[in-house]
Amino acid sequence: MDVMDVMDAIPADGLSFAMPLLIMAIGGIYCERGGVLMLALEGLQGFGAFTGALSVVLCLPLLGAGSPCLVYIAMAGAMIGGMSFSLLHALLCVRFKAQQVISGMVINTLAMALTTFLTSVVNEALTSQVSNRFQIGASERFTLPILSRIPIFGGFFRNMYPFELVILAVAFVSWHVLYKTRFGLRLRACGENPHSLDAAGGNVGRTRVIAIMICGALAGLGGIFVAYSVSANFSPSIYMGYGYMAIAAMIFGNWKISPTFAVCMFFGLTKSAGYQICLWLGMTSNYTDLLLVIPYVVTLVLLVFFSKRNQPPRALGDPFDKGKR
Amino acid sequence: MRTGISETLLRWLCGDRTSSAAVPICVALLSTLVSSAALLALGHDPVTAMAAFLRGSGLMPKPSYAGGQSMLTDFMSYLGILAPMMLASLSVIFCLKAGMFNIGVSGQMLAAGFLATALVGYAKLPSGAARPLVVLIGAAVGGLMGAAVGYLKYLFNIHEVVSCIMINHITSYVTGFFIDTRYVDVITRSSRACSASSRLTIAGVRMGGVRAAIPLGILIAITAVFVVRFLMERTTAGFGIKIVGLNRDAARYAGVPVGRSYVFAMSIGGALAGLAGVTYYLGYYNSIVPKALPSLGYDAIAVALLGNLSPPAAVFSSMLVTIFQKGGVYMSSVTGAPREIASVVIALLLLFSACGAYIRERARSALGKRGGG
Repeated sequence: MDVMDVMDAIPADGLSFAMPLLIMAIGGIYCERGGVLMLALEGLQGFGAFTGALSVVLCLPLLGAGSPCLVYIAMAGAMIGGMSFSLLHALLCVRFKAQQVISGMVINTLAMALTTFLTSVVNEALTSQVSNRFQIGASERFTLPILSRIPIFGGFFRNMYPFELVILAVAFVSWHVLYKTRFGLRLRACGENPHSLDAAGGNVGRTRVIAIMICGALAGLGGIFVAYSVSANFSPSIYMGYGYMAIAAMIFGNWKISPTFAVCMFFGLTKSAGYQICLWLGMTSNYTDLLLVIPYVVTLVLLVFFSKRNQPPRALGDPFDKGKR
Repeated sequence: MRTGISETLLRWLCGDRTSSAAVPICVALLSTLVSSAALLALGHDPVTAMAAFLRGSGLMPKPSYAGGQSMLTDFMSYLGILAPMMLASLSVIFCLKAGMFNIGVSGQMLAAGFLATALVGYAKLPSGAARPLVVLIGAAVGGLMGAAVGYLKYLFNIHEVVSCIMINHITSYVTGFFIDTRYVDVITRSSRACSASSRLTIAGVRMGGVRAAIPLGILIAITAVFVVRFLMERTTAGFGIKIVGLNRDAARYAGVPVGRSYVFAMSIGGALAGLAGVTYYLGYYNSIVPKALPSLGYDAIAVALLGNLSPPAAVFSSMLVTIFQKGGVYMSSVTGAPREIASVVIALLLLFSACGAYIRERARSALGKRGGG
């Protein structure tokens, strides 16, 4: 294998690992900055991936394989699916004032059970075969014309999935909304001091529900990205811990979007670099596993230096009680 | 003085004495009702399905048994998987009392199970030496891993969720590497079976003509319930942990060593998770699947919360959840309903238990409106 191929593959693979992580983590940031604990990212991304894959499977006979619309249908399906499933979290946390850790675990357990069950039901109805996976293939890759010719950094713009641009755009918009708009300010107030928002005439419950719904939509988008690119199908193997990794990235990024972006990129790049170096050296798969430890170890080491001033949102995990103080 | 049935019920639900028992019972009933409705909607008989869960767990006799097996065989197997579940949920409870969320139970289980298997499981030791060693190694490995997480939080303010998730992945890859290169069984693709003398289950015991495997783990788990309760209720360190969990600043003001409490809570929690690991990998099973974190470590979080973070209640909640997990296979084979129903039932249980406070509040306000409260 040529060195240039390796240099090319590292950023391409790194992006395809970092982007879903980033968008899920941003979802988590919205939810937790709004003061609601979000342990349900794993379940929400899985459910989003399920609805996205389902809409692809349903639309495939109408549009034919290879239609460019499929990607957008998948994304829309995933965002709607993730958003509607997150309403359960909103109902439990905001309306019923439930323990938010439990609510997150409920979502994770339910999502895993429901999607596995529904996938086999749908498969049986559509193809009369018993299978717990939707084969949806991977979306087309493309290369950006001019940017890809930049030396070294060009690798980021070759062999891109369409999702990556969408996610970058969404990430930028969500950054703008969170820090530069009235809604974003209110949302952050919900997480720091909900009573001040209440006193200012805002509606804490409604703001939190919207935050949770945004989180669901973004997590769903992350889920369909994984299903429609890297793994090329929807199956229970979607629950392989991406959601938990995103939670880790969010906390490492101190509940702020730009540091979280850096964490996700760092994580994706070290992961793909380790993998590509193994391929390049022609190591057996056993040793690859050992090198795949590197990103996690380095993250732990970095945390030692960057955690000193980490501070979660103050009202995180407290159900809002108007009468309390 | 006329009190209608509904008023008695409401009083029962929100009374100071009765509420802590009434709400869980109400939750269990509600989730049974809703899951029965779901089973009916799918075209299965809910009564048969619910009975099948119990039968699969050895709590009700099955209509027929294979040769040499009986209800006792199933029940012993049920106790075998109940033990790690209880230990793991105790681990989550102990850490949460200090305000630490131990999401690393899976990693601690895997590491403890792996090291105990590698160091003792393949050595030719008599069972009298091997079994205590396995337990010791399990507790020590888990305890050290937990303590590491506690120290990272104490010294560098590293959030325990992040370090636990990182350590989970590292453990999974590293143990996977060693199993694949050194201890692999070429046929099953998991690690070679550990020796019978080191396993915390006495397999193939004949009792009155039936064979059963006696799980020693359940003894460890029951002891652990008492130890955890003693530590929390009767020791200074346990009291410190509870204060830290309730209000860290107040604890510091009162002179409780906050950092040391974190480390202590996490090392005890880790040790419990390590014990769960050895009772799981060298008890219920006898080998380790490489690169797979046990999902039991995550389920334990749910079980701990279902038991409202009290050690005795965790015994009941792990029994309940284990009935559905263990009986799920038999239920599926009897009724033809998918296995995932078991997970749905567990999720419903959790869902309603999360609403426990809401149920109590509603009962109280309903009583208030009648002017009886």
